[in-house]
This record gives sequence, structure tokens and C-alpha cells, in this order.
Amino acid sequence: MIFNVNITKSLSDNLKMGESTIQQMILEAQEHAIDTIKLEPNERSLKIELLIKKYINLDFMSKATTGSFWKKASEIQKEKYKAALLKQIVITIEDHFNTLATLSYKPIKSERRGKKLIYVRGLIEDPNKKKPDINLLWKLAANKNGSFLILDLEIEGISLVSSQKAEAVSILRKNRGNFDILLNKMTRDN
Amino acid sequence: MTKKYKFLFVKFIAALFILNGCSNSTKFASENRDPFEKTNRNVFQFNKYVDQKIMSPISKTYVKKVPAKIRTSVSNHLQWMDTPSTIINSALQTDMENTILASAKFLLNGLTLGFYDLDKGETVIKKRDFGSTLARLNVSEGPFLMVPLIGPKTTRDLTGTILDRQNMATLSSNSIDDLSLAEVPINIIDKRSKMSKTLDNIYLSADPYVKVRSFYLQNRRNEIYSEKYIENKNNNLDAEFEKLLD
Repeated sequence: MIFNVNITKSLSDNLKMGESTIQQMILEAQEHAIDTIKLEPNERSLKIELLIKKYINLDFMSKATTGSFWKKASEIQKEKYKAALLKQIVITIEDHFNTLATLSYKPIKSERRGKKLIYVRGLIEDPNKKKPDINLLWKLAANKNGSFLILDLEIEGISLVSSQKAEAVSILRKNRGNFDILLNKMTRDN
Repeated sequence: MTKKYKFLFVKFIAALFILNGCSNSTKFASENRDPFEKTNRNVFQFNKYVDQKIMSPISKTYVKKVPAKIRTSVSNHLQWMDTPSTIINSALQTDMENTILASAKFLLNGLTLGFYDLDKGETVIKKRDFGSTLARLNVSEGPFLMVPLIGPKTTRDLTGTILDRQNMATLSSNSIDDLSLAEVPINIIDKRSKMSKTLDNIYLSADPYVKVRSFYLQNRRNEIYSEKYIENKNNNLDAEFEKLLD
């Protein structure tokens, strides 16, 4: 009985931690959006990069987006891929940063999935109702230190990890797992 | 429609169904399965060229020159013109709630020809088209296609789009037909202006074609299939994620 109570308590603690991680990140992102408006583009990107790095599990995302090819990459290639992936996430998010300052985030629901995962669902709303609501789903898991990091984000059901994986794996397959070709393509225009 | 065109239309729909039959029997295949990839990539390059050289500058001028209020009215009107298709397909899918809500909204906003949303976005209706009706009838998704000037589709959705157009042409009068003909380019400009940042980001990615395919298939499957599909997809991803976390 006591055992059951402890498990329930730890589950609800984990859910709360997951939710507060997202709330904290949104809050910081909104502050950043206002603070960084006047900065030079490069400086701004760097600030956003630092913020994102704090909240995502980049190691996990890199493994998840390259599938079985990850094991075949050298340490240098792995580090380069992580940097390129982070850059792509920054580019994707950067454009939406200005709008984030004027919109509001509303948490909807969080749930425990399997042994390690937590889903946090939320909604981005326009207080003036001029833009449609955007459904968000954050997938999180605790790292070794016990703090929760983001593994994937789904915007209106479109997964960041799944679309990046489709792209990376398609290039790797066509080039017999050559990571350098993938890295060249990823850094070509950035 | 003349006899010749009717015959051609029937032949085209039959061809699309045959293409559908070429796909595997499951409702939806893996995202990476793309039997027409080579042709699709060529069409994608053509579409990208047209988009960057023609559509993008037009939509940028549209956003710059046309006031936001007018753009919203145009968007509202285009959505309103699409509502009959949602009403018909919701009824065919026996989604009575959506049929009634869409009909009520269509009639209410019809007072302003759809230019003004009189219920201020309070009534949320799910967009339904013939592609989703075919999915409900267990027609398989079919191979992925990149259609010239239209963009990404599956064979089932392309069949649905053609049947939707055909339906509307049969139901509406000639004057509305002329009106909807004028609306095609406006619709494209309106949609392009809303997707401007997303498209520019896609073009910057390592393989824009695969990104578009992935975005389209994920979005379309979420729109069409029920919560059961989404739960199933999440369960599979969870298992994959947990394995990687070990």
C-alpha cells in the first residue's frame, strides 16, 4: 500500500517537473524574444541557440534522427552533426520568435508514457483571436541528473524528429551511410 | 461538360484508382516508400522554380500592399467557398455534428458572402474533403505524388481533389463556376502568403523534397485518421524513444 502511494507520488512529481520545464522555457523564450529584438542577427541566433541547448536533449535527438547510421559515424562527425542539427532547430524556431512575444501559451494536459517518457500538451493562442490556435506536444524524459529535457516537439501533429529523420536517413541511404555528404548538405546554406 | 471531356475525366479517375491499386494493401505505407521519387523530384524542382520566380514575389507584394483586414476578408471568403465540400463530405462520413455546424456557419456567413466571419471563429468546424471520405471508405492512401503547380498529394487525395472540384461544378451555377475560376489564383496567393516562412525554411533544408513529403504525409494523416491512428503512431514512437534512452 505504502509502495503504491510512493509510486503515485513520484509519477505526479515527474509530471509536475515536466510541465514546469516547459513553462520555464516558454517564459524564458518570451523574455528572449523581447530582449533580443534589437540585437544583430548573429548575436540573436547565438542567444537563441544557448536557450534551446539548455532545454533539449541534443544527444538523443541526434541518435533518433539518424537511426542505425549513428553508430557508424566517427566522433568528429557526431559532434559536427549535433552542431548542424542545433543550427537547423534554431533556424526553424528563430522566425517564430517575434510572434511568440505577442502570443500566449496555455498548458492543457500532461501524461506519463511508458517507463520514461512524459507528454506535455499545450496551446499557443492569439489573445486577439486573429490567428488560429496552435497545438503543441512536447515529449520529455529525465536525464542522468534527474532534470527533464525535450526529446521531440510536435507542432499540429508534425514531429520535428520524424521529419528530420526522414530527411537525414534518405540522404544517408542514398550515399551509403556517408556522414560527410549529409553534413555538407546540412551546412551548405546556413 | 461535353461527352469527350466526361470520358477523359472517367478515364483519369480510373487511372488514379489503378495507381492506388499498385500500392500495398495497407491503409498507409512508410513515409520513405516513394515509387515515383525520380519523377516527383523533377516536378518538385519545377514547382520550386515557379514558386520562387512567380508565386513568392506576388505573395510578398500581396502582403505588402494589401491591408491585413482585406487579406483576412479574402481568406474568410475562400474558406466559406470551401464549406459546401465540407458539408457534403461530413454527411458522407456520417459526421452529423460537423455537417450541422458547417451548414449553420455557411448560411450565417453567407449573409456577407463569407467575407466576414460573423461568429468570430467560435464555431470550430473540421475541414472535410473527398480524400478524407475515400479514406473513411478504406481506400488505401496510394503512392505519394508531386503534382505540377498543385504540390504534394497522395493518389487518393488527388482523386479526392478532382472529385471535389467536379462535385462543386455540378452543383453550382455557371456564374459561380466563373467566380471560382477567378478564385484559384487568389487562393494560391493567399495560401502562399501564409506559408511564406515555412516554405523558405524548407528550401534551406538538406533535402527540401523529403521535408515537404514528410510534412505533407504527417499533416494529412493526422487530419484524416482518428485518434486511434495518432495513439498507435505515438506508441510506436514511444517504444523507439525508450529503446534509445536505454
